Amino acid sequence: MSTDDESFHPLGNEWEGELESMLDDTEYDSQLGMDMARDAMRVTEGELSEAEFHEKYHDDVMEEFGEDERPTKEAYEKAQEETKGTVSRMLDKFDGDGEQTRREAMKKMGVGAAAVGVGAWGTVDDGPEASVAEGGHGGGTETHEHPDTQWGMTIDLERCDGCLTCMTACQQENDLDQGVNWMYVMAWEDRNHSSPDGGQGLVDSGAYTDFNMGSDFNMLVRPCQHCTDAPCEKVCPTTARHTRDKDGIVLTDYDVCIGCRYCQVACPYGVNYFQWEDPSVEYEDIDGLENPEDPDEITHAEYEHGERWVDSRAPRGVMSKCTFCPSMQDGKQGDEQVGTTACESACPPNAIQFGDVNDEKSDSYQHREHPVKSRAVAHLSGDHISSNRYVPGPETVNETLSESDDIESAIAALDAANESRTFDEEVLSMMKAIDIVSERLEPGDNKNTTMIQNERTILDSLDAIQGYVDLESEDALDTLNLDDGSEENARFQLQQYVGNPSSFNLLDHIGTNPNVTYLGAEPGSDAYQVDGPTKYEDAGLLDKRQEKLDDETVGHIDGVSL
Amino acid sequence: MSTKEPTEADILRPINTLTKKYFVLYGIATLALLVFLAGWAYQLQEGLVVTGLGDWGSGGGSTWGLYIGAFIWWVGVAHGGIILSAAVRLLGMDRYMPIARLAEMTTIGGLSAAGFYILVHMGRPDRMVTSVIGHYHITVNNSPLVWDVTVITAYFVLSATYLGLTLRYDVSRLRDQLPDRFEPIYKIMTLGYTKQEDEIIERMVWWLAAAVIIMAPLLLHGGVIPWLFALLPAMPAWTGGIQGPMFLSIALMSAIGGVTIISYAFRRAYDWDHIITDDIFRGLLLWLGFFTLLFLWFQLQFVLNGVFLGPNAKAVSAEAKLAHPLYQGAMFLIFSTLVYIFLQTIRPSLFSKKRALLASGIILTGTLTEKVLFVVEGFKHPVFDIYANTPGTYFPSLIEWASLAGTAGLVALLFLNLSKLVPVVELHAVEHMRGDHAHGDEATEPEVEA
Repeated sequence: MSTDDESFHPLGNEWEGELESMLDDTEYDSQLGMDMARDAMRVTEGELSEAEFHEKYHDDVMEEFGEDERPTKEAYEKAQEETKGTVSRMLDKFDGDGEQTRREAMKKMGVGAAAVGVGAWGTVDDGPEASVAEGGHGGGTETHEHPDTQWGMTIDLERCDGCLTCMTACQQENDLDQGVNWMYVMAWEDRNHSSPDGGQGLVDSGAYTDFNMGSDFNMLVRPCQHCTDAPCEKVCPTTARHTRDKDGIVLTDYDVCIGCRYCQVACPYGVNYFQWEDPSVEYEDIDGLENPEDPDEITHAEYEHGERWVDSRAPRGVMSKCTFCPSMQDGKQGDEQVGTTACESACPPNAIQFGDVNDEKSDSYQHREHPVKSRAVAHLSGDHISSNRYVPGPETVNETLSESDDIESAIAALDAANESRTFDEEVLSMMKAIDIVSERLEPGDNKNTTMIQNERTILDSLDAIQGYVDLESEDALDTLNLDDGSEENARFQLQQYVGNPSSFNLLDHIGTNPNVTYLGAEPGSDAYQVDGPTKYEDAGLLDKRQEKLDDETVGHIDGVSL
Repeated sequence: MSTKEPTEADILRPINTLTKKYFVLYGIATLALLVFLAGWAYQLQEGLVVTGLGDWGSGGGSTWGLYIGAFIWWVGVAHGGIILSAAVRLLGMDRYMPIARLAEMTTIGGLSAAGFYILVHMGRPDRMVTSVIGHYHITVNNSPLVWDVTVITAYFVLSATYLGLTLRYDVSRLRDQLPDRFEPIYKIMTLGYTKQEDEIIERMVWWLAAAVIIMAPLLLHGGVIPWLFALLPAMPAWTGGIQGPMFLSIALMSAIGGVTIISYAFRRAYDWDHIITDDIFRGLLLWLGFFTLLFLWFQLQFVLNGVFLGPNAKAVSAEAKLAHPLYQGAMFLIFSTLVYIFLQTIRPSLFSKKRALLASGIILTGTLTEKVLFVVEGFKHPVFDIYANTPGTYFPSLIEWASLAGTAGLVALLFLNLSKLVPVVELHAVEHMRGDHAHGDEATEPEVEA
């Protein structure tokens, strides 16, 4: 059935050649892939036993991929009694335990190897046409339960009070030079949005209302957008700027970058900062948390194979930008730091929500898709100074309330239970409204589900209260301003407290597909930066880096510019 | 003077003479290069912080500056040079045969300067080979910068082949009059030469010329080089389809300007009045006028497209460009030159070689200014124009300024060295002018005269 005797593949030499070139494009040994595929065909034709196939390639596979999760001969023979193996199953074993993502599996096998192997097998039963189709999604299919991770952020600009803590935290975490503001926070105005005269500081201008609004300013928080279609990556002449397969973060390999700065030229957001001179913090002084003696701990992020230097400040002569803290995502700073970033952890009003944007349980997803509910949850669980209200825990509820309580007495009792903080109808109304609109997702063991956990805590308290007081009755709903208790009314009620922000992606029309989503007002095309609530210098930051760079310019003349 | 017959001895004169002026010029060129090399060494030691460059955006600087501006300018000179030479061969513009080789050498010089600028511009030039070549098979699918390096390399190979092939004819015939100290070089150059190959070489050169002419608008200065900028949607000062034609017109203007100056120098130094005739300068000047007209036309297209009901970002950048004193100055100089060129066609007595030289100098200054401004303008007026520190400030440092002198010195040294090694005027040209063809100096070109 082969079109050419010299080709092992049923579709002949040309097809084989194409597959081989696909293999060449992967980082793995093409010859090994082709040999395995050839022998896989022999297995289907009965010339080679499956056990022999495993034996023959075990060492090579170990050497090439660093692991061989196909069974060894012994394990295999045992397994064979239970299942009738096929070549496809043998090749599927590259998928590991089924928990790996498709991208990882594809990497491990090499896309081409998958296509060759499975395609070859498919032809036996289905003929050439079917095998081509089969080859397209061999080696790992789209049906995996776990979608690929894509770290991203949802940033609530209306909760941002412009305190610049995130900028400082980023600078400290990454040992950045003055003026290298990977995270940048600014206040702005445009035709439709004005702001108070700035620069007075938070107390005068910030005004946290009870439930809403971080400041009277229009804020913009600008980390790297970690675009899915990153222009910086597309233009890079070296592949130093790349997207990490396992979690979609866009990073710079400090060991490969040649410092041409084309990424900085192509990025529409202006998030790149070049290392024009020796960084102010020596490499040896970058603190590796697990082992302070070894800065590699913090600077080197994990890849499918080996490590690359992509984290912390850049060495001289290469480009740097916000990294989404890969050493945290890799668990090098402890498990509790996975799914967080330095800026997120530092943000007092929890305006920054980092997480896997594809995971419906993650904070960034929740905040993006359910901004009203999430704001309410963030507010009720927050420890922000201006929010004096509190949600009593279930124990407090059980200790305080009794069967004889009605809604009014219950509120009064719970309010009295905490001397310094307030519990009132509004808090209860919000709790009940959250209950009505909530899908009651379980946090599970997903990373970065603070939002859902906090919601859970609030709902546990509410359930406890409902053990004593009927909140479903018409009277109760009326007291809580929830009208007929419908979702619509509950949502409307929440909006009264926390507003209903619109969401946007920055410069959406440029087609970068950013992974940072904003809640709040979008700056118009005529928007311009104004003084914000906090001065950069008051936070120990340098805004205009050029002032510092000019000091070293040979023959710099002040005030002269092209 | 023009009745004097050009001879082999004429074109060999640069090789067989050694004057004090030559040494002075050599000294100046070397000094210029050395000064810049010292500056570059300092830059390598301290980092690019010694330049006037900085981060656009919150940083308030300009990411690229004079280095990149001068880089594209030199590439333009180079591309224009080879196009000029190719046009002479392909379109049978025999009148310009005496300067065809000078144009080719200008290309080699321009590309060397441009290549040097790439290194000077990098933060980590030491990684050029490992990082760029090592990932070439991946990056060539995306990065315009890699396309750029690719076409420049392809183009260097084309030009060098071109020059090398045509030199075989000359060197083998003039071998006896060439100095013996370069014997090994001549041997390599004429390796396996036989008279039978002349016809084949001529055909090969024709095809190379055809390739250059076809590639010029599609891939070289009309294509890949402007794409480096024109394809980026975030910088309205760069985007748009007009950039291709614009870059090509600048390339041709700069090259004609450069070749005029170099031709002038050689004519003066070696009494080549009868070889590089007044007529050639008149012709070059007219071509310069033609491409200057095109350039101004494209500038008008670009600016008008922004200032009349442009989208915000585009309008801002176009207005800023128009309002920039240096831009106004450059355009004024270029426009005035165009006026002069047209006037001297109407009244030929207005022509003089000195004026042609001056016009060339002005055009070269104008195009260089425009190029550097063009690069910096992108960072000054991006689409995301929200930062208080944007537009930032940029003024080239002394080291960056020195790079201009350094690369000019480099190109001058190339000419000074080459002129001692091989004839810079083709033997063909001399044979041609001696009367294989009747028209010679009186050659007319409808395109020029029209």
